[in-house]
Amino acid sequence: MATTTTESVTTAGSRRRGGAAPRLQSGRRGGAGLRTKRSRTDPLFLVFLIPTLLLFTLAITLPAVMGIVLSFTDSVGFGDFRFIGLTNYVAVFSDPAILQAYLFTIGFSLVTVLVVNAVAFLLAIALTSKVRGKITLRAVFVLPMVISGIVIAYVFSFLFANSLPALATTLGFAPLEQSILANPDLAWIAIVVVTAWQAIPSTLLIYIAGVLSIPAEVYEASALDGASAWRQLVSITAPLTAGYILINLVIGFKNFLNSYDIIVGLTDGGPGTSTTSVAMSIFKGFNGGDYAYQMANATIFFVIAVVIAVIQLRATRGKAAL
Amino acid sequence: MTIQAPLQPGTTATGTIRSVDADRNAGRRGERFNWPVTVVLVLCTLSVLVPLYVTITMAFKTTSQAVDGNAFSLPAPFSVDGFVQAWQLTDFPRAFGVSVLVAAITVVGTILLASFTAYAIARNWDRRLFRWSFFYLLAAMFLPFPVLALSQVKLTGLAHLDNPFGVAILHVMFQLSFSVLLFTAFLRSIPAELEESARIDGASTGQVFWRLVFPLLAPMSATVGIFAFLASWNDFVMPSLITSNPALQTLPVLQQMFQTQFSNNYNVSFASYLMAMAPAIIVYLFTQRWVMAGVTQGAIK
Amino acid sequence: MQTHATTRNAAALSRRGFLLGAGGIGAGLALAGCAPLGSSSSRPETITFYVSKPEVIGYFDEVIAKFHDSQSRIRVIRDSTSNMSANFVRNRPPDLGCLNYNYAMVSFVEHGALSDLSDLPEKDTINPDLWPLMKQTADYPGRTSVLPYSVTAASVIYNKQIFADQGIDVPTTWSEFRDVCERLTKAGITPMYGTYKDNWTIAQGMFDYSVGGMLDLQQTFAALDREGTKVGTSSSVSFEKDFAAPVDRMVDLLQWHQKGAASRGYGDGNLAFAQGKAAMYLQGPWALGEIAKSNKDIDLGTFPFPATDDAADNKVRVNVDLGLWIPEASRKKEAAREFLSFLMSPAVNDKYNADNNGFGVRKDSPPASNPALRGMQDSYDQAKFSLGASQLIPAEIPVANYLQSIAFGGAPAPQLRTLDGDWARLALRTAA
Repeated sequence: MATTTTESVTTAGSRRRGGAAPRLQSGRRGGAGLRTKRSRTDPLFLVFLIPTLLLFTLAITLPAVMGIVLSFTDSVGFGDFRFIGLTNYVAVFSDPAILQAYLFTIGFSLVTVLVVNAVAFLLAIALTSKVRGKITLRAVFVLPMVISGIVIAYVFSFLFANSLPALATTLGFAPLEQSILANPDLAWIAIVVVTAWQAIPSTLLIYIAGVLSIPAEVYEASALDGASAWRQLVSITAPLTAGYILINLVIGFKNFLNSYDIIVGLTDGGPGTSTTSVAMSIFKGFNGGDYAYQMANATIFFVIAVVIAVIQLRATRGKAAL
Repeated sequence: MTIQAPLQPGTTATGTIRSVDADRNAGRRGERFNWPVTVVLVLCTLSVLVPLYVTITMAFKTTSQAVDGNAFSLPAPFSVDGFVQAWQLTDFPRAFGVSVLVAAITVVGTILLASFTAYAIARNWDRRLFRWSFFYLLAAMFLPFPVLALSQVKLTGLAHLDNPFGVAILHVMFQLSFSVLLFTAFLRSIPAELEESARIDGASTGQVFWRLVFPLLAPMSATVGIFAFLASWNDFVMPSLITSNPALQTLPVLQQMFQTQFSNNYNVSFASYLMAMAPAIIVYLFTQRWVMAGVTQGAIK
Repeated sequence: MQTHATTRNAAALSRRGFLLGAGGIGAGLALAGCAPLGSSSSRPETITFYVSKPEVIGYFDEVIAKFHDSQSRIRVIRDSTSNMSANFVRNRPPDLGCLNYNYAMVSFVEHGALSDLSDLPEKDTINPDLWPLMKQTADYPGRTSVLPYSVTAASVIYNKQIFADQGIDVPTTWSEFRDVCERLTKAGITPMYGTYKDNWTIAQGMFDYSVGGMLDLQQTFAALDREGTKVGTSSSVSFEKDFAAPVDRMVDLLQWHQKGAASRGYGDGNLAFAQGKAAMYLQGPWALGEIAKSNKDIDLGTFPFPATDDAADNKVRVNVDLGLWIPEASRKKEAAREFLSFLMSPAVNDKYNADNNGFGVRKDSPPASNPALRGMQDSYDQAKFSLGASQLIPAEIPVANYLQSIAFGGAPAPQLRTLDGDWARLALRTAA
């Protein structure tokens, strides 16, 4: 019986997606229902849409296009410039430092997004089960969202450089006796921890919503069938929150690709250049002679981020109801 | 927190929504608590409370104690010197006022524009213009800020928007994509029957939106609002670039002056961050109930 | 004791500076916010003065107040927060800028964005030894784009008490320096305190001091510029070849730093040195104020780092900490020049340098006032100084990060080869 309920849920979900739903049936939900009554759109909808779209284009798209155009020049951000075609792009592809930054950033983002989502998901389940003081606990776990990145970087910098080694020395745990931030092979772990710490709250909020939206009857039915807690998690909770998981994965990954504040605060791209992210490279060129070059880098970065997002969406198309 | 939209039995995928209040009631009814998990969670809160503790104690230290390298020590002597200096150095009332202005415009602007746009898109999903607008907005979310930054500086300078208003408008635009995404998802849960019955009664689209839909959006508006508020309140890169008049600068930008390579006044800078964090925490706690209900109701499929 | 008073002054200044900065910023902001009152026909002209160095904001507010007292035609508004690139992009830069003269200024100078100040009488009062330094950082032919205002000199700071207790004299050659370090180590004292976590301290200290003392920076960098895209293993000048010896010197120094330097930062170093945990500290005068925060009574001195065995090679590392400039785009150049003259007047300029551990820029400037700096006075007067090499490498190349790899135990040669590669690639893109 649990399976039947799940099936009907996913069918309803997939039926709802996209505009191809037959008019009569989709009238039950939102979606295209209102269009059946008129042959042309109420112009008010255009009033709702067009001015905002125009403002958005002026404020975001136009500057982006200007920035991208400048990537084909030798501009320093102000003053005169000449068009130099693809020179900057060729230079980007032959720069080992940039390649390393991409490898680090993508690898780091992958690990962080998995860690954040796993922890946030488990926390969401824990915080929606029968624990004492749920409301207070939820408030506490969302707190990191409010603290500024610089404070976080300072505090954790201190903890990693002083408290953790002291603890490790007392416990005799050799690898951590030196500050993890000074270890070129392990510094990235510290960055993952701090980034996750800051990112979990917002992810958690969305997962709590997802878990709370699953009707209690589904769990009760499955319990009657003898399903264990683990089985419930895998067969009920996960599939029914798939849409939220997808949103968090896509947006989370994009956010981590753009990591800057925390990395600068913790390691400044070090030790050496082992934790330099793409965003850091881009900002380095910002105030100076490398402006156009880093614009090319940023454009490539944009394309890569979009491609990754599209891949993520395509790969989960059948399973998630967005 | 009552849900106003009547649910059609059998058509919604979710039966009872387990609202926040329901959980609380479970406790009052004396149901068994899961103590092991509770304990684990409380231990995990340490990871949040420890950094907070360091921030607070550092703010109340004297300069010489602040640099003594002992982050966990309690302030001795207890000193509000950091606060006094931070207050004066950043001209706190003025900077605070500017930040509040920018954040307020951002929140109101984002909620209004995003809800209009999302409503138009959600109700016209079968029309190409609206569908493509949605993906256009979503794609723009992936643009890295450096690509836009200096061009935005130039344009705002030309348009005489190199001031907090320009900053607020840009904040709204940056929040638009994500907010529209959230509103659109939430709008799917509002059944069209409500709107259709209102139209049968003779209401125009505008009235349908303002009288019926917008109030129903309130919980998600709170969610969108809190995300927009935090993004605007803590942002320092954009205001530092856009606002040309130093007297009209926001708080985070002025707080940057404590951050130099060569000088560390931790007690002053942490006092300043604490003063800046306080409103954000208050706003969050205040709207927390709405946020919870908002994301919960947004889950109605 | 004078040191006591001066280092206490430094601490007090820091404090006073902040508090004054408080009132100052308040006043500055209030001025900016108020519209000029009255409808007098001779409205005062308002100019924007940009200075962002936090420690001296209070000082400059006092100066501005004095300027306002001395005349009423020009009002000065201080700006400390706007982004300089953004200002130029908007074509509304400040009328008078007072900034650190380093790689951040290069693009403004080389694009001719700054006006020519060579016709100012103040220009001739400047110590002529400083002009080659200015040219090395950035140059626009035929123009004097920036007038130096304050020069800071950095070298080895040492704890006089420890040296006296151990009966150690200030070393003047590399061999003597090694001996000093050995003796200190035998006595159980850390010779130098390292702060490798903050990679700029490695660049500023060990690297710049070694390179400055062993290479002719002007020639070397001119040659590197000429080689441009050809810099590499087979070029006549390269980082791998020419910087090998100074970097080896730097690697030699590593053994005399405390263990665990990799996880210590600038703040930790100031604290530890103030607590007497090491005998020497390779830092600049900006650290003196920080050290005083933790120990007002410490007796400190300085001496130029002896990179070679020829004492005549000993140099101190200098940089133009503050330089004045007026952009071409300013519409109030005359008023800006008047304020510039006021700032450059001996009374104002000398007091600034006295209070902020700087060296004077004029031919007739008095010596540095902080006794701790006396060890560098001769070097400065005899122009035995050089810029920091790390400041001459463009910011796009993260040289401090590479140096950090070396300090953490990495081999120098690969890092130098990477420097060569970066330099060649940069030359390729900027030549296009």
